Amino acid sequence: MIQSCAEPIPFGTLVEYWFGELTEDAEQRVEAHFFGCRHCSEQLEGLASLGRGVRSAFARGAISAVISAPFLEQMKEHGMRVRDYPVSPGGRVHCTISAADDAVIGRLKASLSGATRIDLVRMNEQGELLFRLQDIPFDPVAGEVLLCPSAAALRRMPAHTNILQLLAVEPEGERSIAEYVFIHAPS
Amino acid sequence: MQAPRVDLPVDDATLVRAIGNAAPGVDSNAESELYRRLAPRVRLYGLRHLRDPQAAADLMQQVLLMTIEKLRTSKLREPDKLASFVLGMCRMVVLDLRRGAARRDKLLRTYGRFEDSIEPDEPKGLEGEKLSRCIGRLSERERSVLVLSFFADRSAEEVGRELGLTSENTRVIRHRALQRLRECMSGTRDAP
Repeated sequence: MIQSCAEPIPFGTLVEYWFGELTEDAEQRVEAHFFGCRHCSEQLEGLASLGRGVRSAFARGAISAVISAPFLEQMKEHGMRVRDYPVSPGGRVHCTISAADDAVIGRLKASLSGATRIDLVRMNEQGELLFRLQDIPFDPVAGEVLLCPSAAALRRMPAHTNILQLLAVEPEGERSIAEYVFIHAPS
Repeated sequence: MQAPRVDLPVDDATLVRAIGNAAPGVDSNAESELYRRLAPRVRLYGLRHLRDPQAAADLMQQVLLMTIEKLRTSKLREPDKLASFVLGMCRMVVLDLRRGAARRDKLLRTYGRFEDSIEPDEPKGLEGEKLSRCIGRLSERERSVLVLSFFADRSAEEVGRELGLTSENTRVIRHRALQRLRECMSGTRDAP
């Protein structure tokens, strides 16, 4: 019975194993090791637990995230009920979240080509800054940014109006890409 | 007939011999220990290759039944190679499962299910609220990469393609995010 490990598998290798990124030989070496090693199997279990935790937190709306359009389709395929609000630059949208919704998506249409870093700013009706998401991930050719706010937080919110702004952050300064108005009403 | 009982803890080879020596009786103590020791590893293998908790649980049940069958009849030639034997069994069963084989039902009919009392615990869930707060402290890119990676267990290449990142950059972000999460959960950094 092995209680500790003289040559533990590096955590990065366990992560690559978990996501199927190792060569077949490397994968078999990892499996041969962790099957006989309590320490490394516990490390792998820890990783699997973190994965379950992240998945669960997102599925129950406890966290927000910028996502991709293909990922949105995956959410639906996994049975999540999603309320999708596409909005064009300068557009206004009335939005809500019902008890039946698992997630709400703000689909911010924009021309992203040429941008290397984008920040997402949220302001109240008076233009006061509420928060700024720095360096959000985006696909320059996608033509949209998909924001999935925490459904749990959204449910607690009273009626309010927010302005979202996409900013391109460039060496010479910032430029506004587009603004959107979300008029939220609890359902 | 009173079954002999092995005194725990022991190494794998001693466990294997205890199970074989007990035949035709059953050393339930040794079999339970074998299950506790190996079931979590078989389950992880199943999760990794089948990507489905129920299928992983089925794999675990089937592989452990086949292992016990082998050990009770002392057919494992090298008792100290138990882990390799079980891993080989996992590979074979996953192949079988993918081909739609129904060997599990036959084994269940022959040997019955293990008692619930020795089912390994489902690994304990992380403290949900604390984990959510820790995830909330990640950068936007880190959070997006983790969510897209774990929601459907997708590779860095797939995730990166959707987020406009190279697969190498995605791996770096993913690794950093996981390290920060582990540190946050263990209270060594940015613990909420």
